[in-house]
Amino acid sequence: MKPPVFDYAAPVSLAEATDLLVRHEGDAKVLSGGQSLVPLLNMRLARPAILVDLARIPDLDWVRADDETVAIGAMTRQRTVELSREVQARHPLLHAGLQLIAHPQNRNQGTVGGSLAHADPAAELPALALALDATFDAVGPGGARSVAAADFFLTYLTTALAPTEILTAVRFPTLARRTGWSIIEVARRHGDFALAGVVASVGLATDGAIDRARLVLFGVGATPVRAAAAEGLLVGQRAEAAVFARAGARAAGDLEEPLTDVHASADYRRDLARVLVGRALAEAAARARAA
Amino acid sequence: MTVNGERHEADVEPRTTLVDFLRGTLGLTGTHVGCEHGVCGACTVLWNGKAVRSCIMLAVQADGAELKTVEGLADGPTLHPIQRAFLEKHGLQCGFCTPGFMISVYELLSRTSTPTDEEITDTLGGHICRCTGYQSIVEAVHVAVEKMRTK
Amino acid sequence: MSERDTGIPTSVAELPNSEPRYVGRPIDRLEDPALLTGRTQFIDDLVLPRMLHCAILRSPHAHATIVSVDTSEAEKLPGVVAVVTGEDAKRWSNPVMTVPPGWGTHCLATDKARFVGEPVAAVAAVSRYVAEDALELIAVEYEPLPAVADARKALDVGSPLVFEQNGDNVMLRKLFTWGDVDGAFAGATHVVQREFRWNRLGANPLETFGVVSQWDELEGTLTCRGSFQAQHHFAMARAMVFNLPLNKVRFIAHPHGGSFGGKGGARGTDITALLSRKAGGRPVKWIEDRMEYLAGGASQAWDRHYDAAVALDAQGKVLGFRVRLLDDLGATAEGWGAVSAAKPLTSFTGCYAIPAAQYDLTIVATNKLPGSPYRGMGPPPHNWVLEQLMDLAARELALDPAEIRRRNFIPPDAFPYTIASGNEYDSGDYAAALETALAMADYPALRAEQARLRAEGRYLGIGLVNTIEPGVFDWNAYAIVGQPGTGVPEGATVGIDLFGKLTIKVGFALEGQGQYTVAAQVLADWFKVDIADVRVIALDTLAAPPHFGPGGSRLGVAITGAVLGAARRLTDKLVAVAAGLFRTTPEHVELRDGRIGVKGMPEASMPFQEVAQTMLARSDLLPPGVDPNPEATYVWTAPGRTPADDQGRAKSYLTAANACHLVLVEVDVETAQVHIRKYWIADDCGTRLNPANVEGQTQGGVAQGVGAALLEEAVYDEDGQLRTSTFMDYLLPTIYEVPMTEKRALCTPSPFTPLGAKGCGEGAMHTTPAAILCAINDALVPLGLELREVPASPQRLWTLLQQGKAARR
Repeated sequence: MKPPVFDYAAPVSLAEATDLLVRHEGDAKVLSGGQSLVPLLNMRLARPAILVDLARIPDLDWVRADDETVAIGAMTRQRTVELSREVQARHPLLHAGLQLIAHPQNRNQGTVGGSLAHADPAAELPALALALDATFDAVGPGGARSVAAADFFLTYLTTALAPTEILTAVRFPTLARRTGWSIIEVARRHGDFALAGVVASVGLATDGAIDRARLVLFGVGATPVRAAAAEGLLVGQRAEAAVFARAGARAAGDLEEPLTDVHASADYRRDLARVLVGRALAEAAARARAA
Repeated sequence: MTVNGERHEADVEPRTTLVDFLRGTLGLTGTHVGCEHGVCGACTVLWNGKAVRSCIMLAVQADGAELKTVEGLADGPTLHPIQRAFLEKHGLQCGFCTPGFMISVYELLSRTSTPTDEEITDTLGGHICRCTGYQSIVEAVHVAVEKMRTK
Repeated sequence: MSERDTGIPTSVAELPNSEPRYVGRPIDRLEDPALLTGRTQFIDDLVLPRMLHCAILRSPHAHATIVSVDTSEAEKLPGVVAVVTGEDAKRWSNPVMTVPPGWGTHCLATDKARFVGEPVAAVAAVSRYVAEDALELIAVEYEPLPAVADARKALDVGSPLVFEQNGDNVMLRKLFTWGDVDGAFAGATHVVQREFRWNRLGANPLETFGVVSQWDELEGTLTCRGSFQAQHHFAMARAMVFNLPLNKVRFIAHPHGGSFGGKGGARGTDITALLSRKAGGRPVKWIEDRMEYLAGGASQAWDRHYDAAVALDAQGKVLGFRVRLLDDLGATAEGWGAVSAAKPLTSFTGCYAIPAAQYDLTIVATNKLPGSPYRGMGPPPHNWVLEQLMDLAARELALDPAEIRRRNFIPPDAFPYTIASGNEYDSGDYAAALETALAMADYPALRAEQARLRAEGRYLGIGLVNTIEPGVFDWNAYAIVGQPGTGVPEGATVGIDLFGKLTIKVGFALEGQGQYTVAAQVLADWFKVDIADVRVIALDTLAAPPHFGPGGSRLGVAITGAVLGAARRLTDKLVAVAAGLFRTTPEHVELRDGRIGVKGMPEASMPFQEVAQTMLARSDLLPPGVDPNPEATYVWTAPGRTPADDQGRAKSYLTAANACHLVLVEVDVETAQVHIRKYWIADDCGTRLNPANVEGQTQGGVAQGVGAALLEEAVYDEDGQLRTSTFMDYLLPTIYEVPMTEKRALCTPSPFTPLGAKGCGEGAMHTTPAAILCAINDALVPLGLELREVPASPQRLWTLLQQGKAARR
């Protein structure tokens, strides 16, 4: 298990990096933390001609949090965000989600941007980005642009980023007042990729009825999946078990065929999604009431 | 890079993993290779103060970094309190995974002198030990906390 | 026959020391300082001059004819020194010996590949990186053949044949009948019969196998350094493979990072030997990587289909026990996996006095990785079958699981007790272990809690399992699968140097169980010295006395016997010399508390070290005819072993430790997850030479048992492709899955062993899977469901729960 031969470049500016990507278009791979890429290199499943390491580019490693947004530079280590007191205080959902990513030893090296650009559909960060309507900032040969999360995840391990573009930052809006949240998943072991997972947020009106709901499922499709119809079922309803169960059934029913692999069949994943949606909504509603 | 306080300069092939560099080029064979795909934690080293898996990191990624390996824990013949604690609590059997465990515990205890049970579990959860069943390792961490507090 | 005949103490009180300080105490391990500082030299840490690195090309097909292998491009790659293929293997080596015989091949596939991961060619190059580059340049033309990956299909007429020349895929078929089984079942008031499926899993030590081989053409010798669990066994097999005299084969075992039976690396050893020969004698290192281990290493055991039944009378007394086992050993019998099907004979009827039993055993070949040994060596699935049937029988008779066990235990006054399948249990008190566990867990309160939560729709389950751990293995246990021999030797040489310090020389490398510490504890207490004055070192196969090393829960007992036997002999030498110095005869001289002196005359004594110094440096003072070497060797074998009869009956394993595990699980019936809530263990392995070592073995076994019950499975698809080739798919338990257990030790010493110790390395692995699976089924009782396939993965459990829902609709 040793990587094949490749070239390596550590550009010191975004311009230099995008130049390299343009020059080697199709044969270059961006290296950020390497937690997904290097195992693939070791197994010789990835065979880039050149790795473009973003580590020497300045100003990609930062966290800025205010009341509305937690903005994170793409090369910021997941663990840095997780341990940020600002993030813990202003964005407990993001904090909770980060803690579900593999193990501290991976989060110490893995970057926020790397996980998002890799876009594993069973990963937590893409689901969080979709649930929170995050905005992705990218730079390419044509300049900078921003992409909404809803437009970012195209399919399995594929994003709206062109091969010559580099993700530079992601901005996660914070949750509104009186909004409860939950992120739960079932994995074979703690830290493994989810067989199925759910990010939920629920806003309650003063009369206790649900006035906002957001549901994103992960591990059950080619991308994180927003359960829009189930969200629609919730709004205006009382926050109670029967309502959550209906939403779960709808969210699960609306899924396209989930993945079958050695750990879980499509049917089992779909059923897990149903159960987890119900549980996540109950937890989110309880948090909303306590908020 | 600086490893255990000693500066090293070397040209490496880009594809060389950090663990192969530490073991092969520098001869620091105390860091072990268990899976080479970032799951077992045997290869864990301290990279700029943080515990990382050196089998899924390229040596070039550690250019200029400050590293600590198991060889850097003891002070000459005097074991580090974490090592003493593992010894006293039989926190190892075959000992192959142990350097990685101790490096992660080192990171934990350099961040907090009073880790919670959850923090200890979170730290150890990234490592696989096939021998001990973890109980004696948890006990060793508690003893290490005590030793470092009274040091 | 007792150990008394050999002069080896059977209890701590018999040591020549009025205040033993080490035996029986949780002594810090001598092994640990080097391990904790990263100084222990594992095989991958070894660098030899001009050493090359090997990479192995493996078959991507489960079954395929090899039409051609073209290595010419690989040979041209700069840095490549040698390439070998099946042609080299045929020219320079023999097929490996197997158990049962006739199911083996060369180390590199010659005519065809028989499983995914089978070595086809190999490269020696200046680095592992370059060697792997070269593999990509080897062109192999395969003609795929139909594969068989299912044991039942392998029995079908017309199934693809793994070895055409054998006519079918049946490696071994035998019916063992012990007592009047038909009568027992005919006369029973209750018969409980079920099918069970245990899927493949395996050892997965954190260190894979590694070897450095060096072929010396001039001397005609082969030297191999590696992580060998049983170095002498490896050496013998290589002598046969390469037609070398055994004294031309030298094996040097390095400390290794765990084994659990799964440190097989015969093919890698042979391949590196071939490469070294081709590379002009340069040393060639091969470190098996994790994917090689999972696909082509000693990583898989116990692929079993069971159909089993117990027959009971109206009082819940078991009259008979029948087991039909279809055991899927994979493509060849090279990995000694067949012995795992034989080992259940050593404790076939568990803790119970069951007068009649039957074992209908079929071992079959398929196009999967050859099976290997794994901790416990076979009984863990068997114990699950028996214990689950006991639970089901209890349910049918409306008895508590504890009560049905009480009614069937072999009583404490019945020992030594010969079970129906022929092995003899040395001693034990099974009810005591059961009652201890019940009390620790407050069993009645636990049942009440379970009932209360069931009313809330929560499904808690209690597993309560008693098992035997047969300890101190003997070859005679494996006679039925074609393994010859009785007696497994373990030797030690004990010496005193000029400065009075002690050295123990043994024939096995560090593996993790702490046996060097045990050896030092025993010797330090024999001579009443500080344990720091004892050093233990490993010798290679040509230097060490006859040895086997760890395996079959034997080494703690065996090395204690070897060290004490050698200490006894050495003491006799010292006594002979001292008798001369004291001008008396040896029968009047003894060792007591570290001094050699005249019995009953404390003033006429001297430190034993002075006697040794006299032997080494004052020949002028020595009595004529004495041996002046203060060193002695003793080779211990288990006393009283008998060869197997035609039904496999033998006094095989010397000791029978026992344990009761009690576990509380919760099944989340919506997500199909199992959570272990609490775990209690009452464990009796006789005298505990180092209780901390024993506890570590127990807890480590629990962890592996959790893996077996819930996580670990080598999955093949129907074409024989492995779907669990990384640690992301083959799941080892982490701290999140393994319960912290509450343990209590009982002690029924063995009357047959040195110091009364019993084998203790495998007990928890024998017990934990059964306990957890019985607990899961206890939780499912209100749903009317039974899970009878392991591991209890969420997918498997979910499927069962869905079937239950459908049935209730």
